[in-house]
Amino acid sequence: MAPVDIADSVPYSERPEWSDLTPVAQYENIQPLAPIFYNPDYKDATDYFRGVVKTGELSPRVLDLTETIIRLNPAHYSAWQYRYQTLIATKSSLADELILTNELTRIYLKTYQVWHHRRLLLTLLNDPLPELPFIEEILKVDVKNYHTWSYRQWLLAHYNREDMWVQELPLVERLLEEDVRNNSAWHHRFFVVFERGGADGEDTVRQELAFVKEKIALAPNNLSAWNYLRGILDHKHLPYSTQADFTKLYVVSSIALNEESVVDLENPRPSKGAQLPSAAAIEFLADVYEAEGESGLSKAVELWRSLADEHDTIRKKYWEYRIREATVAAPD
Amino acid sequence: MAPTTLLIDKHVRYIQDLGKHTDSLAYHLTAHLRINAVYWGLVALCVMGHPDALDHDDTLAYVMSCWDDDAGAFGAHPGHDAHIHATLSAIQILAIHDALDRVDVPRVTAYILALQQPSGVFAGDAFGETDTRFLYIAVNALALLGQLDRLDKDKTVGYIRQCANFDGGFGSVAGAESHAAQVFVCTAALAILDRLDVVDVPSLGWWLAERQMASGGLNGRPEKLEDVCYSFWVLSSMSILNKMTWIDADKLIEFILSAQDPEGGGISDRPENMVDVFHTQFGVAGLSLLGYPGLQDLDPVYCMPASVIDRMGLRKGWKALPRRPL
Repeated sequence: MAPVDIADSVPYSERPEWSDLTPVAQYENIQPLAPIFYNPDYKDATDYFRGVVKTGELSPRVLDLTETIIRLNPAHYSAWQYRYQTLIATKSSLADELILTNELTRIYLKTYQVWHHRRLLLTLLNDPLPELPFIEEILKVDVKNYHTWSYRQWLLAHYNREDMWVQELPLVERLLEEDVRNNSAWHHRFFVVFERGGADGEDTVRQELAFVKEKIALAPNNLSAWNYLRGILDHKHLPYSTQADFTKLYVVSSIALNEESVVDLENPRPSKGAQLPSAAAIEFLADVYEAEGESGLSKAVELWRSLADEHDTIRKKYWEYRIREATVAAPD
Repeated sequence: MAPTTLLIDKHVRYIQDLGKHTDSLAYHLTAHLRINAVYWGLVALCVMGHPDALDHDDTLAYVMSCWDDDAGAFGAHPGHDAHIHATLSAIQILAIHDALDRVDVPRVTAYILALQQPSGVFAGDAFGETDTRFLYIAVNALALLGQLDRLDKDKTVGYIRQCANFDGGFGSVAGAESHAAQVFVCTAALAILDRLDVVDVPSLGWWLAERQMASGGLNGRPEKLEDVCYSFWVLSSMSILNKMTWIDADKLIEFILSAQDPEGGGISDRPENMVDVFHTQFGVAGLSLLGYPGLQDLDPVYCMPASVIDRMGLRKGWKALPRRPL
């Protein structure tokens, strides 16, 4: 974390408007785990903060003080909490606070506290629509940031507004266009399509299957997309065998693919140059065969064997476990 | 050359010296995690067989100096506001030193229980941020204090269920993406509550095994970078589900060892990066679960020395890899 340059600011101990307040130093007398604060700016500000907390003062100058501390140390949760209390007590403009928070969010987007503060503000402002473009802007800085995403999901679930939900699939599609392996975007798609409730009829399922298969065709080893495919099938209780023809296109090496075959929209073929075979496809097809029972077992075992010995050797023990489990469980 | 053995003496010295670099800015910017750092350091020392490397009396005096008498719980450092995370670390440190009699159990229990929200999730402090991390912390702390009966278990488990995702994993709040650290907190909380029936074991076990990368290291989400801390988040969950044998232990050991600082001691997130006590603890914890020779057992459910949890009679059914001979 880079220290913030506040060299040009006057220490609180030298400001006349703070002369009425007694600073409280950090209690420090136990060794060997006790610190001695040498950084004068931070010590100065936090000494005055402890003084403020002690007197219980909630005033406009506390907003200035807590902002200084937060800029020096955005994880200082007590400064955030006290700032929020002060905002409410002084009836300060929350819209102005959101503008400041926008700036702090951009700088400290990996800090839990800045997102929680934002959520508290939104709960009072109740104006979620402008949040969506703001979050998209923040995602440009770090497109997989966990806080950013869970904040967006909270907004959607909390307000549950159609004019917000309709923006989500276009966003996911833009992000997957940039990086088809963005697991956060895939998760968000599942959240929007299947966890909202009510909007996952047959048309939706067909559309989602087509979407994910098209993305698998682009990058056949993308775990996020395969998880999404499994997620749809599990969620709708559809057998994996419905995707056997599609999967078979991805378990062979690229050379074996016949370039002349007719284009099948239900089962898009791997894109040119894609790395094949796909271990995720082999795993999926083995699950299809395993579900067939005894008749499919030997084909499943053969696929697992190829994963253990060749295509996914780091999880060799897992594949051997699958073989053992399936063959022990099989009827004589 | 990356180190190929665990440099225990270096790491012990590194942890002992942590409290001495008090003139750096980074030191006081992390004051809000100070008691957590003491806990991480102490657990790593216990696992490495040096439980006395930090002075017993000083450590206990420090923990008690973090008590926030207004709130009835512990803060991260003397004079800091109480927080549930600091409170768990204090309880864990005291439990390791068999000194839980110093805790005002009724007040701490009341503090923790009051943080539970109507949905079943817990807030971290009066600021009100909620997360399954805080839920796990509450469950762990109440168990160590022998106060689990005071918890509304169904409500607590109900919130964890809401965080379960289509891929078998768990997120930080309802609707959020699966993440290995959140999988740990949810799985371990369910283990303490004897409710592992909530877990889709085959899916989650596979999702966890899938976290291993070609380097041997583990990542926390699909298509993300490997990081030593996931050696704990992923392995602890796998050991709770008894799936430790599904990954390549040799390659993971090699990865963790390669992230050591051979000069100053300590372990970093991945090779060549800066070390910190958090990654040091999670690297050592991961090695213990992988059966690395010469280490003490770590209880993955509570992230505590197994001997302490056994003494307290709180052990749950987890399984690490067998300890390899020296």
